[in-house]
Amino acid sequence: MAIVEHLASLLRKPIETSDEAGERSVSTQKTGDESGNTVIVAPPEFRFMYPEFLPDPAPETRNRLREKLERMDMLQRRSVIEIPEFYTGSIMAVTVADANSPNKFARFVGICIQRGGSGLRAWFILRNVVDKQGVEILYEMYCPLIQKIEVLRLERRLDESLLYLRDALPEYSTFPLNMEQERRLNNSVVPINPIKVKLRPRPWLERWERQNLQGVEDLNLPQRFYDKAEKVAKPWEKYDLMLHYRKTIPAEEQEKIFAEVHSQLQQQELKRKLRRRRGFDNEQ
Amino acid sequence: MNQADLSKLVSALRIAVKPKPRLLSCPEGPAGRLKKLRATVTALVKYERIELNYPRADEAQGYAERLISDAIRNGDCHKHTMEMADYWLNEKQLVHKLFKVLVPRYQNYNSSFTRLVLGPKTYPGYYAGTAILELKGNPFPALQPENHNYHYWLHNVLLEEAKKEFRSAREERNAGTTESVTTES
Repeated sequence: MAIVEHLASLLRKPIETSDEAGERSVSTQKTGDESGNTVIVAPPEFRFMYPEFLPDPAPETRNRLREKLERMDMLQRRSVIEIPEFYTGSIMAVTVADANSPNKFARFVGICIQRGGSGLRAWFILRNVVDKQGVEILYEMYCPLIQKIEVLRLERRLDESLLYLRDALPEYSTFPLNMEQERRLNNSVVPINPIKVKLRPRPWLERWERQNLQGVEDLNLPQRFYDKAEKVAKPWEKYDLMLHYRKTIPAEEQEKIFAEVHSQLQQQELKRKLRRRRGFDNEQ
Repeated sequence: MNQADLSKLVSALRIAVKPKPRLLSCPEGPAGRLKKLRATVTALVKYERIELNYPRADEAQGYAERLISDAIRNGDCHKHTMEMADYWLNEKQLVHKLFKVLVPRYQNYNSSFTRLVLGPKTYPGYYAGTAILELKGNPFPALQPENHNYHYWLHNVLLEEAKKEFRSAREERNAGTTESVTTES
């Protein structure tokens, strides 16, 4: 019974881990609510930077307590290892502990073609072409085997999912395995790469003409493909307000979730920056 | 395990949203479903109180709430909101009514904007019956009597005390009879 009461009390309290004790965050956004108390509000870009903190919208599997515990565990993991901000289209390198490899570590470089999952099961897929063989690896972001995640080039593409790279010419998915981290020119804005990828001739893995892809060059298919795509299309889904509602988390809940976690995340960011600067100064 | 869609920010609805939508069978299929609901939402915004069958009323309530909450959150200069209002309201004067009458009316509401009341149903039958869907704050007389807090009314207080007295007297009587039973054995 004591355990149940303790878990229930967690639902009422904001999240606090041991490293926050005694420290207050520096640049929290504070707005006043009606009673005049300051209310901590996370900046609006947080939902794009940390989408895995938002739960799966399907109501059948929602459990507020489990989500809260997961967020606590996610912050704990993030305090141990740096999980940088990345988007679909960023080029990343992941080092995983591997008992069977000679160095005990396995490093893979690739472009992030898709990311999904929520909570501790958040994942992303990296794609690269190694020795003319396309290779894709799905990494779970919070897996304890992961030693290091580096973002070599931080950018976005015109689409949220780059699965069409599987049917594209291999040069669009090839990245050198010894690629170095590129320095960002502008730290505040993530650049969008407007590249239009050329696909190989058919057959393809999916009917790309039926998906509204922005990052692909003109497919040059016979007209019957486009006619069939029109016949099969569901143009009313664009206006289906309840469909959109069921697929997303309402703004008030998003704000609540990010208000819980963002002070922790900001503190972790600050600590990492200080460590980096100290490391740079020591080198000098 | 899907990630939440981040492209749109939606306000939380203050009605119970069922996990799966109703299909609302019609000859045109899924396209026809939204067409039917469009007619319902237009009629709701136009007449502010409509009587219809329960399943369609329940679906339309969700869409009406979404439309009004989007209009309140984004205002009429937001392109996406205006597109939705243009699609969902078949009469264009109702778009003006939405932004100029309904949005100020519901600006500071903490509750839902619509009310769904069960209507008459012809027995016997396993179907849901009719329902009345109305916008709150409409000029018509209320459908249901107001909920007065009747717990502290004098006659109810006296009745509660009388009930307690009766129960305690009965327990004493039962305790008396069981004691007499034990003493006999």
